[in-house]
Amino acid sequence: MTLSKEKLLELYKKMITIRLFEEHAVELFANGEIPGFVHLYIGEEATAVGVTAILGDNDYIASTHRGHGHLIARGGDVKLMYAELLGRKTGYCKGKGGSMHIADMTLGFLGANGIVGAGPPLAAGAAFANKYRKDNGVAVCFFGDGASNRGTLHEALNLASIWKLPAVFICENNMYGISMNQEYHQNIKDVADRASAYGIPGISVDGNDLFAVFEAAEEAVKRARQGDGPTLIECKTYRWRGHFEGDPTVYRSEQEVETWKKKDPIPRVKKRLLDLGVLTEQEDQAVWDEIRKEIQAGIDFAKSSPLPDESELLEDVYCD
Amino acid sequence: MAVRFPFIRGMVMSTVGIIANPASGKDIRRLVAHATVFDNIEKVNIVRRILLGLDAVGVGQVLFMPDYFGIGRQALEGLTGRYSLKTKVDYLDMPVTWGQEDSLAAARLMDDLKVNCIITLGGDGTNRIVAKGCRQVPLVPVSTGTNNVFPAMVEGTTAGLAAALVATGQISWEAAADRMKRISIVLNGQEIDLALVDAVVLREQFVGSRAIWDEEKIIKFVATRGEAFNIGIASIVGGLYPLSPQDPNGIVVELGKGETKVLATLGPGLIMPISISDYRILNFDDKVIVKKETCVIAVDGEREIEVGPKDTVVLQLKADGPLVVNVKKTLDMAARQGLFKLT
Repeated sequence: MTLSKEKLLELYKKMITIRLFEEHAVELFANGEIPGFVHLYIGEEATAVGVTAILGDNDYIASTHRGHGHLIARGGDVKLMYAELLGRKTGYCKGKGGSMHIADMTLGFLGANGIVGAGPPLAAGAAFANKYRKDNGVAVCFFGDGASNRGTLHEALNLASIWKLPAVFICENNMYGISMNQEYHQNIKDVADRASAYGIPGISVDGNDLFAVFEAAEEAVKRARQGDGPTLIECKTYRWRGHFEGDPTVYRSEQEVETWKKKDPIPRVKKRLLDLGVLTEQEDQAVWDEIRKEIQAGIDFAKSSPLPDESELLEDVYCD
Repeated sequence: MAVRFPFIRGMVMSTVGIIANPASGKDIRRLVAHATVFDNIEKVNIVRRILLGLDAVGVGQVLFMPDYFGIGRQALEGLTGRYSLKTKVDYLDMPVTWGQEDSLAAARLMDDLKVNCIITLGGDGTNRIVAKGCRQVPLVPVSTGTNNVFPAMVEGTTAGLAAALVATGQISWEAAADRMKRISIVLNGQEIDLALVDAVVLREQFVGSRAIWDEEKIIKFVATRGEAFNIGIASIVGGLYPLSPQDPNGIVVELGKGETKVLATLGPGLIMPISISDYRILNFDDKVIVKKETCVIAVDGEREIEVGPKDTVVLQLKADGPLVVNVKKTLDMAARQGLFKLT
């Protein structure tokens, strides 16, 4: 795998954008400016960016309740995202969906989803559409270790495997289904082991290593486009924040969190970019400053946007 | 009751360490090649058979590396009734990190505790890590995949029997084990790693998903061994200049346009012609220098060391690798000494 300087910087910037977007979402939620729940992606940035880096225009993504990172990595507009989080009319869903329902069909982003395990059937359906239309597209499905116990995933894997659908199933194994450690909810530790039941490849990678995720996703997407069917990739990672903002996280130790913070994916990428001469410390500072401005502009846009009018309450409920 | 052999249980306090890596067998080679899928339940089964072999010969104690899957614990859960063990089973007191650091820490602890033998379950990578932590204790490497050279595909029961014979001193380790070669890897003057089979210089920017499957990325490599039945880089050596683990030489091979081409099995199902521009036989302590190029060094099949344009790497063939028990030879010797005769 050899990536150009431009591509490397693009991926690095996306990781930083996700980090800063989420850190500011923490503040907005704490200030009571976000109605509803938010589930933050801090610590898992390498997975979203590594996977989406190789997707094209005809490809789809089915996301999860922890979906901000997936959309930013796919090219989502942080202004529209913040507006949606704050329930504003200018948001992705006109302020009526919130964090867990953000969707952008122009990006093939089928939506975050409030239901654990609801994404796999959507991805299988989208992959079927790709195959039916012969447009060489693939559908990527993100899900967590908790969702790997849902029947929806297994039905989707079964259909995808027998029909050789161009789908890639990405398990973001962050070790917890809400508050339950994986040890207590399944008798395996590698969700990749599930793949053998469907006769498809299943591999585990370090989900905090951008380049490991990229390589695995690149090969899986290539396989899907060639008509060889789906792949299950398990990305082992960790969410730094609670399951949702406000979660007291009494189910895990500070020591565990600190251990994983040492595996922070962003400094790992930065170090290699410095080693390769792709980035200098000065340029790195400029990158962070530039993205901070972009994030602030997004928040300002959202805050200055109007709330939906009461008269719009029943709009967009049904299709015309 | 299970049949027990007339070994000298209790006369020698023997301890066997078991390091079973739950992470092996799930890497990208299942996607880019046709490698076996090796789930942890099968590792539990192998460990169960190993324990029965160790118990049959009368090993006093087994020490497990704790792991995130609980391979040792789950193996014991299946050993009840007629399969219950007399051998005492314990776990090393160490933190579990989910990483290869666990195998290194376990090997060091087992070395400190002076265990008589260590059984490893994993691939070349697992054994490399164990060898880094412990070079004097005889190893019985059990392969859990198709892409390995250092560990043998050996049945768990017979591996357990052989390890027990060595651990209890009924077959001396000097007779049962061979000293392997290794490659010392020195980065900017400091030894940072070792390889047991090969160290490969790759035209890569990142460690990434670790595996090697694209021959065009290979610049050159140093190998301690390679035979035609091997897979991976050792397969290239096998086709070019076969070297057994016992041969007192290594080899450095440069890939590129040249008159020599060999057909090699670079991975499971990945058979391809490899073009070689040059090669040279190495004696012990010979050095190969890599400098001033951005590359990645893969050790024993896994990309491990990212090298920058300002770095210098020295690869040196050494004779002081780990001791490895020859399972077949050990069991043959035991049989010839009448150790398996019940009456």
